[in-house]
Amino acid sequence: MKRDWTRRRAPLALAVAVVVSVVAVVAVVSATTTREGVALSIAIDLAIACVTTLSQPDLKSSHPVVSRAALTLLGLDVAIFITFFLNSSTNFNLATGAAMSIVLLGLSFLTGASGQISLGNGAFMGVGAFAMAIWSNHHATTPIFLTLLIAVGCGALVGLLLGLPATRLRGPYLAGMTLAFAVAFTFILSSFSSWTGGDSGLQLPTEASAPRWLDGFFHAGTSPLTTTTLYITDVAIIVAGVAFFFMANLFASRTGRAMRLIRDNDVAAELVGISLPRARVVAFIVSSAYAALGGALLTLINNSVSPATYSFALSVTILSLIVIGGIGTISGAVIGGIIYAFSTNVISWITTQTGLNPQGNFASQLNGIIFGGLLILTMLFAPLGISGAVRHLWSRVRARTQG
Amino acid sequence: MVKSKTRRVTITGTALLLCLGLVTAGTSIVGAGAATKKVPGVTAHQITIGATEPVTGIASSGYNQVAKAANAVFKYVNKRGGIYGRTIKYVIKDDCYGTPGFGCTGVPNTATQTHALLGIPVFATVASLGTPTQDSVRALLKGDGVPQLYVASGSQDWNNAHQYPGLFGWQPSYNEESKIFAKYLTATYPNGSVCFLGQGDDFGTDGLAGLIAGGITPTAESLYSVDALVASNGASIAPYIQQFQSDKCTIVVLDSIPGATDAALGAALQLSYSPQWVISSVGSDPQTVDAPFVGKVPTDPEIGAISFSYLPTTTTSSPWIPWIYKVIEADPADFPGFTSTSVLNGNIAYGAAVGVAFVEALKANGKNLTRASFLKTLQSVTFSQTPSLVPLRYTASDHQGLNGGYITTVTSDSAMKPLTGTVYTTDSSTTGPVTVAKTLSSGIPAWLK
Amino acid sequence: MDPFLTSRIVTDVLGGLTNGVIFGMVALSLVLIWRSTGVLNFAQGAMPMFATYVGFALLSYHFGYWACVVACVIVGLLIGGLTERLLVRGLYGKPEINPIVVMVGFLIVLEAVAAAIWSSFPRSLPTPFSFKDWQLAGKPLALSPFTVYEIVTALIVMTAVAVLFRFTKLGLQLRASAVAPEVSRLLGVRVGRLLTLGWMLSTVVGVITTILVASNLFQGLTPTVMDGIFAYGFIAAAIGGLESPVGAIVAGVLLGIINQFVTDYVNQNAVIIIALVLLIVSLMIRPSGVFTKRSERRV
Repeated sequence: MKRDWTRRRAPLALAVAVVVSVVAVVAVVSATTTREGVALSIAIDLAIACVTTLSQPDLKSSHPVVSRAALTLLGLDVAIFITFFLNSSTNFNLATGAAMSIVLLGLSFLTGASGQISLGNGAFMGVGAFAMAIWSNHHATTPIFLTLLIAVGCGALVGLLLGLPATRLRGPYLAGMTLAFAVAFTFILSSFSSWTGGDSGLQLPTEASAPRWLDGFFHAGTSPLTTTTLYITDVAIIVAGVAFFFMANLFASRTGRAMRLIRDNDVAAELVGISLPRARVVAFIVSSAYAALGGALLTLINNSVSPATYSFALSVTILSLIVIGGIGTISGAVIGGIIYAFSTNVISWITTQTGLNPQGNFASQLNGIIFGGLLILTMLFAPLGISGAVRHLWSRVRARTQG
Repeated sequence: MVKSKTRRVTITGTALLLCLGLVTAGTSIVGAGAATKKVPGVTAHQITIGATEPVTGIASSGYNQVAKAANAVFKYVNKRGGIYGRTIKYVIKDDCYGTPGFGCTGVPNTATQTHALLGIPVFATVASLGTPTQDSVRALLKGDGVPQLYVASGSQDWNNAHQYPGLFGWQPSYNEESKIFAKYLTATYPNGSVCFLGQGDDFGTDGLAGLIAGGITPTAESLYSVDALVASNGASIAPYIQQFQSDKCTIVVLDSIPGATDAALGAALQLSYSPQWVISSVGSDPQTVDAPFVGKVPTDPEIGAISFSYLPTTTTSSPWIPWIYKVIEADPADFPGFTSTSVLNGNIAYGAAVGVAFVEALKANGKNLTRASFLKTLQSVTFSQTPSLVPLRYTASDHQGLNGGYITTVTSDSAMKPLTGTVYTTDSSTTGPVTVAKTLSSGIPAWLK
Repeated sequence: MDPFLTSRIVTDVLGGLTNGVIFGMVALSLVLIWRSTGVLNFAQGAMPMFATYVGFALLSYHFGYWACVVACVIVGLLIGGLTERLLVRGLYGKPEINPIVVMVGFLIVLEAVAAAIWSSFPRSLPTPFSFKDWQLAGKPLALSPFTVYEIVTALIVMTAVAVLFRFTKLGLQLRASAVAPEVSRLLGVRVGRLLTLGWMLSTVVGVITTILVASNLFQGLTPTVMDGIFAYGFIAAAIGGLESPVGAIVAGVLLGIINQFVTDYVNQNAVIIIALVLLIVSLMIRPSGVFTKRSERRV
């Protein structure tokens, strides 16, 4: 009886909270005149609504989807709110990081959940990036979100094409095949240079610009760059949030559990009736669709796409980032995205702090030395990455305080 | 269990509210900074400019000296008090030529690094390098009103004053260079059979168009792919040279980067094929081209090749050569071990010349510096005391930059000399004639000496 | 003279052979490590590159070519052994991805350190052999003293590896410790030491390959010199089967020849695309490589 009551209570709570926050917003909007006040109240109300929902006992077990939705909403709310106060270059880095974290999420799922190794996710990313650019150059009027979906579709299709032969392959052979695809990708682009623009790549026909109403939030004289970058960053963060929400559900779903079983023991998985080839193809498609989404976002963010970006080294970078972040986890993808976004800043900060000549041989190679070293150390001492290490520490702290 | 959950929620909620509170505090601070009208990157004592260059990665070898050499000029000027009391701060960001190499993991692309420059902020970007890389940030820089000056590439993309009023090239276009080659070749080798090998982007296609506009119809023409060149360590060039040999071409024109020039010269050496080489200034720097041949073959295979230069060669008596030596020697931090006997290679000379072009424009602008005033100066003043052979002149409709130079020949593994010394000038159109330059640039302005 | 020897087909075969033996050697060095330790060594190009830089630093002290080659081989032995002991040892039996990631990290570090010390400007490695192709009736034959040196060296290395594995007691122990480490240990074989030896051997094969590649006429030694070749070597090893040294060599040579024909008759961009298609098709037919003996999966 009590259980039933809580079961009904959680969605009700979310609904009530949202209604209350809408009423509050209306009240505040009519009361205040400053746009900042409006923005702040929307953000706080939304946050309160989410927190209220999340504080329902047993929400996680009784309504996992609602709980994840509230968590995603809360994360988006806080992240978007913060972007309003950052300068445009930090925002731009955040946007790139958000796009990259989507790619990382796909690889985290493929490798971490289903045990397959892919060295070709940079190329899948390129598929999405070029699909986005080519489509917008031919149909400039298509809305952004629709173009993104088309790019995702292209990525999924290429994923299917490569995933089919990949189902029969184990470990190193799969690595070999995806590596060959990653290396061949730039050459495939060159072979269709009338479509892909050859070595120079493509520009988007129009620069995505912030809608009018957004300008109103800023003081007069704020440069259009700031508002545009902010807009693009928030689009990227929202897309990433949606992608994370879907992935979190997928991880927890029957498919996700089946995949983990395959990773841990494929023979046992087959015995309980899981179709190995089908599960592997699905994992491959999901991972390449996510990569394509990230690539398409990156095209949108940069307003252009160049084939040189999607070389084999990018695939290696992607693999490295998810390993450092924590493979097989969702938080690992976030951490990896943040590292990607801010590593250059951190390294140039180190260069200035240590007094190295920034144009010297050593300083210019510092990036590679630190990044490669971090990769080795992570694998040797914390194979589950930063996410795994933090979780481990946390559980130890908890054990100590409770015991 | 229930208790711990409640506690967790309380903690989360408190943390969140705290966070929001902090941000709210931030709002008022941001809001307080009311915008006063001032020029981004310019103070009474300093001008901050930026550039993106391939400091690491596949395109870095050689090209990474361009920005350093320009910076050496700025340091020299700064040491003498700057321009109107303002010193120049040059922020160089590594964009890995847009290619995320293993050394460039992190955020490798040009847009990201350009955003970082805009955040400083900078007055303008000066001598950023590369065609695809700079193409990709044209709209971004225009959108923020930042001048994109002296782009280091011979593409014609920089000459589009209508659409990009703040975008300026510097070196002669690939097309102009080829037209001057064509003029020389038709006069010197009227019966020669010409083959053409160019890079598979506008470097190759503009170069070929220039040759054809100049009256040369190549017997064979090919475009190579940079990707294949890198992936095959140069072996991909050999089949083209083999083809040229069986086509019996006596002249081979190369619009290639140094790595491809090496591959072409090496393949010909292997095949005992010795045509008259004609190599674009982009891929002919003697020291760079000779590097892989040192000790392997008795003489540098590039010796005797014809090339083009828009700067005085080191063998001439131009006063700028010792001046550049002096400036580079004064910068041991970026050029350790550089002495008066070191080789002044093409990349260093290029960077120094661009650096001079910028400080001269600053000087011509006068003390009151805004972006608009600077662009106006650039478009109205003819800079005739500058390192390039012809004066540097832009107009409101022509942003290409230099438009002339002379034919040179490679004389050793580290130097080339002018063949006749006649300086030609032309434009990028198909009909514009190649003529002998009427005015040449002269001497060093006294304030720079 | 016989025009057949300078015909387009023979020229392509000879040119392809020169590239092919290089791919074969890279594939062989990968197989040596995979067979003995189950590690996919992504630093198989970078470790020898580093050794070659160190060895040829002696050139500036006017040591001869052969002295430098010997120095490179010794440094290669050291790097191979130390890598196995310090980096890889703890990773045996871990999930496949762990050693892959560590070696990718090692690759990044080695290339960055090499560029920091020696810069990315190409260095020339002069050899005592001429690069000029021999001429037959005024037409170049696609062979020069240098390419003959390249092919012969590769053949010697391959034969030496084969002899070592087939006909020596050490080879038997190496094979045994790879196939059944526990049994070998019981029989008194010092498995740990043999694993180190396997890595040293593989690195030496890599060093010799790198020297040949970097002494090529129109390019020098750069930190990234082996990147492109590594990809082809890896593709060859996957086609031939990671368990089979013979398969690796044969696949490498064939891949080199096919590449040359594709370059000549189709275009450069098609080369790697054709290689990708070849790889996919061959893996569809034989998922564990063409030359691997068909074996049931262990349950």
